[in-house]
Amino acid sequence: MFNPLLEMARYFQDTSLRLDLSQSTWAVPIIGATHVLAIAWFVGSVLVNDARLRRFRWTGLVILVFTGALLFWSQPLRLYYSDFFRAKMLLLVLIGVSALLPARYTRVTLVLSLVLWAAVIFASRGIAYR
Amino acid sequence: MPLENSWIFPVVESIHVIGLAAFVGTIVLEDLRTLGLNIPDTRHIKAWTHAGLTAMLLTGAAMFLSDTARYLHNPAFQVKVALLVVSLIAHFTLRRAGTRFAAIFSLAAWTCVVLAARAIADFDV
Repeated sequence: MFNPLLEMARYFQDTSLRLDLSQSTWAVPIIGATHVLAIAWFVGSVLVNDARLRRFRWTGLVILVFTGALLFWSQPLRLYYSDFFRAKMLLLVLIGVSALLPARYTRVTLVLSLVLWAAVIFASRGIAYR
Repeated sequence: MPLENSWIFPVVESIHVIGLAAFVGTIVLEDLRTLGLNIPDTRHIKAWTHAGLTAMLLTGAAMFLSDTARYLHNPAFQVKVALLVVSLIAHFTLRRAGTRFAAIFSLAAWTCVVLAARAIADFDV
């Protein structure tokens, strides 16, 4: 049966960038640390919850997605088969959906998103071990 | 104690990262504000800074005690602890002054701590 997600992971697995990333001593540690710093950057701006920080927040999110994509690229097949990675992606979809809630539920959305982001972090740490 | 092989270690590590997000996230905003960026007053979220720091120190100590030999021989860990001591001292002394230098120093110091910390897993001896 054709599985588009698996085919995509296989495609990334066979690229030369995947080899470069996974064989470099410093690439993954530095990209990983940038990913963590972007988490701090993003969460900080969510906690302050001020409209003036909207641009700041989006910058953090863009860095987060970009470094996350590179980390995925460094080991696509292993992540495809990781249950924790799948849970993380599902949680990220839920966060995306919760962001679409109507504006009058601001407080609910804020708490919900913090809980979901905490769950994302738990799932992410699980990836390293399974 | 073989903490590494149980589900406890990733959970403790996750709390460490959540603490980091609250701690470093609020510090970065405050430092950028000191540097003149258009950032709202962050004083009302100071509780998050301290809660984050407490969570990090407790979970960090727990992870260290789970396998002291592993960490003491890990070059990234040694660098991290040295940087951490400098950063913490600067945080409670130099940074109080609220100067531009202190803000730049704080941003650079915490960035280096995170870099070294992330490298621990990659430089196990």
